[in-house]
Amino acid sequence: MYETLITTGAAPSLKTLAEQFSITPTQARRALQRLHKAHALVLKTGGDEILMAHPLSAKPTDYRVTIDDVTLYANCAWDSLGIPAMLNCDARIEARHPLGGDAMRYRIADGELENDGRYFVHFAHPFRQWYDDIVDT
Amino acid sequence: MLFRSESEIDKWRRRVGRNRGAVLSLSQVWALAERWYHDRISPDYRGKSAAEAQSTFRALGLTGEFWLAPPA
Repeated sequence: MYETLITTGAAPSLKTLAEQFSITPTQARRALQRLHKAHALVLKTGGDEILMAHPLSAKPTDYRVTIDDVTLYANCAWDSLGIPAMLNCDARIEARHPLGGDAMRYRIADGELENDGRYFVHFAHPFRQWYDDIVDT
Repeated sequence: MLFRSESEIDKWRRRVGRNRGAVLSLSQVWALAERWYHDRISPDYRGKSAAEAQSTFRALGLTGEFWLAPPA
């Protein structure tokens, strides 16, 4: 699943996962639901569509991460840095400002954060509540 | 969410009716991301326990009630 998300920016479908692991779609759905319960990924409420596999988002968000010529989306500011941390690579990141909508840019190069000092991240919920509503977190 | 200043955070909070949470510099968040996600796609990755998460926070100086693990 991560391999598909990382290389294409899109989550694999249930059918693709079933074929890849030579299992039935029902077995694939159950496996995804187990991973969802274990907080390893986030499924759409009441469905089997993958929304998030942290730090990646399967849907476009306000946090766009470019690695070479591939565009990925992160779930939040933290996850935008989580992608290059996970892949141990350079990345260019463009976030949309929550108030004005203008672009805020920063990058990771050789393991270092560039354009630092100007930006702050607000964590809305304390750690003990993060998994109460992971999408809002 | 990402902002350019703490005053922007307060403005946004008033607009959307949010309480103040925790505010970290982007460099602090990079340090957190490195520790949190570096092994995420390792075949040996088995998730983080609440205790492991809290230990990661503590190593970065993130202490206090906001960063406490949920009760077991």
